[in-house]
Amino acid sequence: MKMKFVKSCMAVIAAGLLSSSFAMAQEEKAASLDQLLDMVKKSQVAETAEFRQREAEFARDKANQANVLNQAKATRQAEENRSDTLEKAFADQELLVNQKRAQLNERLGSMKELFGHLTSTAGDLRVTTQNSLVSAQIPNRGDFLSELIEKMNSNTRLPSIAEIERLWYEVQRELVESGRVVKFNAEVIKTNGEAHEQEVVRVGVWNLISDGKYLRYIPDTGKIEELSRQPDSALLKTARDLQAASSGYVAFSIDPTGPSGGTLLAALVNKATLVEQFHQGQTVGYVITVVGIVGLLIALWKSLVIFSINRGVSVQLKSNKPNINNPLGRVLKVAEDNPNVDTETLELKLEEAVLKERPRIESGLNVIKIIAAIAPLIGLLGTVTGMIQTFQAITMFGAGDPKNMADGISAALVTTVQGLCVAIPMVILHTILNGRAKRIIHVLDEQSTGIIAENAERTHK
Amino acid sequence: MQAIMDAFAAILAFMELGGFLMPWIAALTFVMWTLAFERIWYFKGALKGDVQKSLDQWESRPERKSWYAHQIRQGMVSKMSDKIYQNMDLIAALVAICPLMGLLGTVTGMIEVFSVLANTGGGDAKQMAGGVSKATIPTMAGMVAALSGVFVNIYLERLAQSENRLFASHLTMDH
Repeated sequence: MKMKFVKSCMAVIAAGLLSSSFAMAQEEKAASLDQLLDMVKKSQVAETAEFRQREAEFARDKANQANVLNQAKATRQAEENRSDTLEKAFADQELLVNQKRAQLNERLGSMKELFGHLTSTAGDLRVTTQNSLVSAQIPNRGDFLSELIEKMNSNTRLPSIAEIERLWYEVQRELVESGRVVKFNAEVIKTNGEAHEQEVVRVGVWNLISDGKYLRYIPDTGKIEELSRQPDSALLKTARDLQAASSGYVAFSIDPTGPSGGTLLAALVNKATLVEQFHQGQTVGYVITVVGIVGLLIALWKSLVIFSINRGVSVQLKSNKPNINNPLGRVLKVAEDNPNVDTETLELKLEEAVLKERPRIESGLNVIKIIAAIAPLIGLLGTVTGMIQTFQAITMFGAGDPKNMADGISAALVTTVQGLCVAIPMVILHTILNGRAKRIIHVLDEQSTGIIAENAERTHK
Repeated sequence: MQAIMDAFAAILAFMELGGFLMPWIAALTFVMWTLAFERIWYFKGALKGDVQKSLDQWESRPERKSWYAHQIRQGMVSKMSDKIYQNMDLIAALVAICPLMGLLGTVTGMIEVFSVLANTGGGDAKQMAGGVSKATIPTMAGMVAALSGVFVNIYLERLAQSENRLFASHLTMDH
């Protein structure tokens, strides 16, 4: 172990020696130490010669340097003189500038105030035109206004009469255009992303329509875009009518909300469709839907059964011969088969026959009733779980963003809607079917003995 | 005439404000009251004829004491009560449904409010107000319809009960 360590140390030292001697050989190419000494001596001699040569050169330059120094001093003096004269000229001219500026202010007088008004008007107009739908038809009105504002803010330039009159013209043009319904051709970006050159109708500064569809103007890019979700077809029809009209009055639905109109329409794009809302109900919503469908199927089947029984009973009421295809017929058959029993036995036999018929008529009705009762409860469950989700979101993200919460809340409410939508028809269906079933059972229970008694009396006579 | 037109316009505006459920609540109320008036109409008119017809039939029997007579009497009472209580369940169910419809309006209106909130971040109180009116007006309409129905339903229930008992007591066992 120890030997191994010593060995490895030796190896490292040897490697170090080898590498250092190798480096020396590279620089000096000395074969031995004596040779190296010799080389050092030789280079010393060479260096001395070089230094002497440089010394001589410096001596030669010395006279020259003095000359150059004198020259530089003369140049400095000349420049100082020039600086003095320029400073003097600057001071003189500054006085002159102040004088002229005072003169300018004096001559501008009330004009200065006017320029202030013009600047603010032009600024307002620039903002208005940028967002205005008129810019969809007449683009780049802002460039002139920017230039005008820059001109009026600068000290050296003044707007010309023509430019001031152009500002007047632009203000009035915006005003006039806002009261106009015009057609023009423009590029419209469709919902699939393709751009088409087509006829667009602009209604004042409120709405853009084309091809019976509402459009949106995007001020930042100056592009016209088709709204991805359009309003009701009745409203779209008015848009089509307006575009087709050439004169006279046409009814048209306008959206004047927001600074430049169309805010409601823009909000429409974000509104969830019925299908989207249905899916917002999530698991609880699907459970309610399944329960509702089951209830509807049971109600459908029950209504078929009860109405066919009802028809059979109605026919049986009118005929004397018991027909075993309906419950009343079967009850009457019991009486007919036992003509000679005493009344108490007959009553018991009839009761038994009626009891046999009841389940077939009443089955399923209770399920409908239960569904009508639990559907709103499941909806309530969905609401509460939705609220729990909402509050969990608040715990995690804080209440700063109402959007975060609102999504959860609207999802929670959807289940309540679904629960009610299932419960309301179920209540009505149960009432109708239960009423029918109750009438049939009354006929069997209370009236069948009466019918039998009448028949018996008639045959006795 | 002008007053009628104004009232009609006011009702239309009210319906418009309440959203899509208002016509349903109106239809429900209309059906409910139609059925209620039909019942009142029947109790005050045709019922007397029916009762008299059954009474005559009962009175014309040779005997009213046997087991047969008892069964026939019970059948007559049951038939008459079927006639008297016709559609009464439906009226009660419609009364129960009216507040449910109102609740449905509340919830759909609230969904609208919250979807506006989700889209605009609560900045637009005007748009939210539209949803709030859609939430509150159907609730109120449903409640009013249900309340009116509750009263007429109680009245009809008592009327039907007394008519039924009256008829049963008319069919006496012996004279």
